[in-house]
Amino acid sequence: MSQHPDDDTWLVRPATIRLLWRILWIVLALTVAAHFVIKVKGYFVIDAWYGFGAAFGFLACLLMVLIAKGLGFFLKRDENYYRGDQEDD
Amino acid sequence: MTILASLAIPLAGALAILLASRVSDNLRETMTLVTALALAWNVWSLLPAIMAGERPQVTLFEVIPGIDIGFAIEPLGMLFAALASGLWIVNSIYSIGYMRGNKEKKQTRFYVFFAFSLAATIGIAFAANLFTLFLFYEALTLLTYPLVSHKGDEKTLRSARVYLGILLTTSIGLLLPAIIWTYVVAGNGNFTPGGILAGHVEGPALGLLLGLFVFGIGKAAVMPVHRWLPAAMVAPTPVSALLHAVAVVKAGVFSVTKVIVYIFGIEHLFSTPSSGWLLYAAAFTIIVASLVALRQQNLKRLLAYSTVAQLSYVIMAAAILKPLAEIGASIHMVAHAFGKITLFFAAGAIYTASKKTEIGQLSGIGRRMPWTMTAFTIGALSMIGVPPTGGFVSKWFILAGAFQADNYVAIFTIITSTVLNAAYFLPIVFIAWFGRETEGAGAHHGEAPLPIIIALTTTAALTILFFLFNGPVIALEAQIFGGPSS
Amino acid sequence: MIDLLPPALILLAGALLVGPLRGHWRSAAVLLTPLVTLWAVWQVPDGVSLSLPFLGYQIEPLEGSALRRLFATIFALMAFVGGLYAFRQARWYELAAGYAYAAGAIGVCFAGDLITLFLFWELMALFSTIIVWCGGTPGARAAGIRYAIMHLLGGVILKVGIEGVYVHTGSLDIQPMLATNFDTWMILIGILINAAAPPLSAWLADAYPESSPTGSVFLSAFTTKTAVLALILLFPGEPVLIWIGIYMIMYGIIYALLENDARRILAYSIVNQVGFMVCAIGIGSQLALNGAAAHAFAHIVYKALLFMSAGVVVYRTGKRKCTDLGGLFRTMPLTTVCGIIGALSISSFPLTSGFTTKTMISQAAADGGLVTVYFLLAAASAGVFLHAGIKFPWFVFFQKDSGLRPKDAPWNMGVAMVIFAAICLWLGIFPETLYQFLPYPVDYIPYTAGKVVFYLQLLLFSGLAFFLLLPMMKRTLTISLDMDWLWRVFALRIGSALYNALGSAGGMLEDASLKKLTQLAAVGRRYLGVGKSEASRGLFARTWPIGTTTLWIAVLLTAYLLVYFL
Repeated sequence: MSQHPDDDTWLVRPATIRLLWRILWIVLALTVAAHFVIKVKGYFVIDAWYGFGAAFGFLACLLMVLIAKGLGFFLKRDENYYRGDQEDD
Repeated sequence: MTILASLAIPLAGALAILLASRVSDNLRETMTLVTALALAWNVWSLLPAIMAGERPQVTLFEVIPGIDIGFAIEPLGMLFAALASGLWIVNSIYSIGYMRGNKEKKQTRFYVFFAFSLAATIGIAFAANLFTLFLFYEALTLLTYPLVSHKGDEKTLRSARVYLGILLTTSIGLLLPAIIWTYVVAGNGNFTPGGILAGHVEGPALGLLLGLFVFGIGKAAVMPVHRWLPAAMVAPTPVSALLHAVAVVKAGVFSVTKVIVYIFGIEHLFSTPSSGWLLYAAAFTIIVASLVALRQQNLKRLLAYSTVAQLSYVIMAAAILKPLAEIGASIHMVAHAFGKITLFFAAGAIYTASKKTEIGQLSGIGRRMPWTMTAFTIGALSMIGVPPTGGFVSKWFILAGAFQADNYVAIFTIITSTVLNAAYFLPIVFIAWFGRETEGAGAHHGEAPLPIIIALTTTAALTILFFLFNGPVIALEAQIFGGPSS
Repeated sequence: MIDLLPPALILLAGALLVGPLRGHWRSAAVLLTPLVTLWAVWQVPDGVSLSLPFLGYQIEPLEGSALRRLFATIFALMAFVGGLYAFRQARWYELAAGYAYAAGAIGVCFAGDLITLFLFWELMALFSTIIVWCGGTPGARAAGIRYAIMHLLGGVILKVGIEGVYVHTGSLDIQPMLATNFDTWMILIGILINAAAPPLSAWLADAYPESSPTGSVFLSAFTTKTAVLALILLFPGEPVLIWIGIYMIMYGIIYALLENDARRILAYSIVNQVGFMVCAIGIGSQLALNGAAAHAFAHIVYKALLFMSAGVVVYRTGKRKCTDLGGLFRTMPLTTVCGIIGALSISSFPLTSGFTTKTMISQAAADGGLVTVYFLLAAASAGVFLHAGIKFPWFVFFQKDSGLRPKDAPWNMGVAMVIFAAICLWLGIFPETLYQFLPYPVDYIPYTAGKVVFYLQLLLFSGLAFFLLLPMMKRTLTISLDMDWLWRVFALRIGSALYNALGSAGGMLEDASLKKLTQLAAVGRRYLGVGKSEASRGLFARTWPIGTTTLWIAVLLTAYLLVYFL
C-alpha cells in the first residue's frame, strides 16, 4: 500500500490496466465482427440477428444489476442483524 | 404355572433382597440381579408359545360372580412384559453403579420396592380383565411412591405428593367409574379380540367412556393429566429411567392401547365419530409437550416433557384405529423405551460423574464422557426418528397406519413434532461435542462408573439393533389382528 | 460376494477407519478408500443385484444403471479429491464425517427402492450437519442446527410421501412419476428441500459459508446433486420443475450480486447452477436429462474447485469478506489461476466443462420450443458470468490491494485444485469423455462456430457490463434477508408473544383453581377440625398442580358433554 504504484506488480500498473482495457475493446469488437463471417444459427428468429448475443448479454446484466440494487434496498441488513438471536438461545 | 411365577419371582426377590441386605451389600445387589435375570428368563420363556399362537390364561379367584382376578397373555401384554423384565436387568446393573456412585441412603428400600414395582408391572401386562388391571395399576402407583420420594427432603416429598395425588385421583375418579360402567353394560371386563362394547355403548356415550378411560389412566400422561411426570423427576435417575421411561408410563399407554383394542374394538371406535377427539388430544399433547420441552433448562425435566410427547405418539397411533397403526403403537413402546432409557441413563451418568443437571453446564462434556454422550446422541436420534435407530421403525408404522386411514392430522403432527424434537435435542448434542468447557466448571472428572457405562452402552446398542432386527417384534404384534402373519 | 460389496459400504468403512488410525495409516486410508470405492462403483452391474428383507418389505440396496454409475463416479472422485485437499488440515472427525456423507450420497445413487433411498438420504443429513458444526464458531453452531432441522424436515416429508405412495400403490420402486396427488407432492417437496429450491432455499447460503475451509468443499458437492439425481430418477418431465428451476437461477444471481462473503457468493451460485439442472429435468427430453446429468458432473468439479480456492484464501488469511480481501494474486498465483479456471467453467466459457454441458440444457429448451425458458437461460448464462465468473475472482484476488500477503496453497490443497482444474479443461476440450457415460445416446455437438460466437458475445459483453457497472457493485458490510427471516425472526416473535399470552392465561387459571382449593381447605378445616398451622403445611395448600389437573379434566368433560348432548 505504501509503495509507489509503479513499484508494484506490473499487472496493477496504470499503464498495464490501460492496455488491458484496450485489449478488451478489441476482443469485443472482434467477436461482434466475427458475426459477418460466421452464421449464428438462431432458434427463435431474433437470436440470429446481428450482434444479438452482445446486446442481450449486456442488457441482461444491466437489468440484473439494477434489479439486485433495487431489491437490496429492501433486503440488505447490517451483517450483525441475526447475531442478537444467536447468542441467547 | 409360568404366568403366576412371573408375579411370584419379583415378590420372592424382594424378600430375598431384604434378607440378603442383612448379610452384605454385595449379596443384596447380587440378589437383585438374580431376581431380574430369573424374571426375564421366565417371561421370555413364554415367548415361543405366544409367537406360535397360543394364549395361555389362568384365573386366580373370583371376587364376586362375574368379577375375577385372572391373567391371560396376548401379544401386546407379552411384548410389554418382555420389555420391562428385559430392561430391568440392564437397569439393575445401572442402579448399582448409580446408587453406589452417589452414595445414596436407604439402598435396601430402593431395591425392594423396585422389585415390587416390577411385580405390579407384570400384573398389568398379563391382566386378563379390567378389574385385575385396575388392581395392579393402583398397586404400581403406590409401590413407586417410596421410590419417587427416595431423597426424603421437603421439596422431594412435595413433588412425590403431586405424583401420588394426580395418579390416584384420576384413577379412582375416572378410571374406576369407566370400569364399572363397562362391567355394567357389557356384563364383563375381559380383554377380548374385537372388543366387548359393540352393541352395548353407542354414539356420544362411547366417546365419553373413552374419555374416562384415557384421562383415568393418568400414567399415559395425555394433557392435562401429565404434570405428575415432571414431578416424578425428583426420583433417583434409575427410577426415572426404568419406571418413568419404561414401566410406569408404558403401563399407561399400554393400558390405553389394550382398552382400545380389546375393550372398545378398533372397528367399533372407528365407526363412531364421537371417539375422534382422542386423536386431537394426543396430537395436541405431542405438539405442546414438545414446545414446553423446548424451553427446559434442566436435562431431566426436558426428558420428562419429551416422554409426555412420545407417550402421546403411542396414544395417537392407537387412536388412528387401523391395524398398522396399532402395530406402530406397540412398536413405539419398544423403540421409545430403548431410546428414552438410554437418555435417562446418560443424564444419570452425567450427574454421577460431574453433579451437573442443567443443559447449560454440558458444554464440551462429550470429550470427558465420550461413551455417555455417544449413547445420548443415539437416544436423541431415536427420539427424532432418524435411521439407524428404533424410533425410525415405529414412526414408519405409525405413518403407514395414518395413510391407511388417510389421517392427515396425524401425518402433519408427526412432521411438526420431528422438527420440534430436533430443535430441542440437537443443541444439547452440539454443545456436548463441540462446545468449549466453561472455566471452573467443577472438578476434573472422567466417565461415570463402569456399571453405568455397561448399562447405557447396552441400551444404546439395543436402540440401533432394533432398527436392524425388528422382525420378530413386528411378527408378534401382527398377531393382535389375526394369527401369525408376515 | 466380494464383487457385490456396495460401494457406499466401502466408503463408510473408510470413514470408520479414519478415527482409530494415526499418522501415515490414516493418510493412506483417506486417500485409498475413495479409489477402492471408485473401482467398486464400476463393478456394479445394471439392474438389481442385492435384495434384503426390511420392515416386511424386500429392499434393493444395490441397483445399477448408467446414470447411477455416473453420479456415483463423480461422488467417489469428489471424495478422493476432497480428502486429498483436506487430509493434512482438517480434524479427523471432519474427514470421517465427510466420508460418511459421501457414502450416503453414493448409497442414494444405487438405491433400488424408496426405503433405501430414504435411509441414505438421512445419513447424509446427519453427517453433513457434523461438517457444518466443524466450523467451530457460534455462527456455525446456530447455522448447523438450522441446517439439521431443515433437512430433518425435508427427510420426514420425503418419508411421508414414500409411505403414502407405498400404502396407496403398493410399490416402493424407483420409477418416473408426476406430482399429481398428496403423496407424490410430498416426495417432490422432500427432494426439493435438499435441492435448495424455494421457498426453503435459505439453508444453503446460511450453512455452507459457516463451515471450515475444508468442510465447505465437501458440502458443495453432495446434498444438492443427490437431489438432482433423485429428481432425474423420479420426476423427469414434471412441468413445475421448469419454473422452480428458473426461479432458483434468478434467485442465485440476485442474491450473489448483493453478497459480501466470498464463500456465500459461491453458495448462492450453487442454487443458481442447480436451478439449471432442475429446469432441465422439468423439460424432460432425453437431451435435457443428459444435460442435467452432465451438468451435475461438471458442476461438482468446478464448484468444488471454486470452494477450494476460496477455502485456501480463508485458510491462509482467516478472512472471508470481499471488503477485507483483494490483491491476493501477488502471492497466491496457483490459487488465483485455479479459481479463474473454476470461474470460467461455471460461466460456461468455451473450452471449459461448463460450456459443453450447460449448452445441452439450452439446446433442449430450444428443441422443446420453450421460447421464454430459452431466453431466460441465455440471460442467466450472462448473469452467471457476472456474479460468479468475474465477481468472485475479481473481488478476492484482484480489486484493490488489501495489503495481505499470504502464502499460496499447501501442497496437498494445490494438487487437489490442479486435478479438478485439469478436469474442467479436459471436459471442455474433449467432451466425448463424459458424453459416452451419459444415460442416453448423445448426438449433440457443442462446438459449432455459430454457437461459440454467440456465447462469446454474450459472455464478453457481460464482462464489459461488470466493469462498467463496477461503481454500482461496491461491496457493503451487509447480509441480505431471505425466506428464513420468516422463522428466524417473525415466527420467533409470534411464538414468544403467544407463549407470554398463554403463560398469563395459564397463570390466571391456576390462580382461580388455587382460590377454589383454598375455599375447599377452609371447608375442610371447619368440618374436620384441622388446625390452621397444620393446614398451611398440609396436602391441599401445597398440591395445586393436582387441583389444576382436576379442574382441566372437569372443563374438558363438560365441554365434551356440551358438544354432544346439547
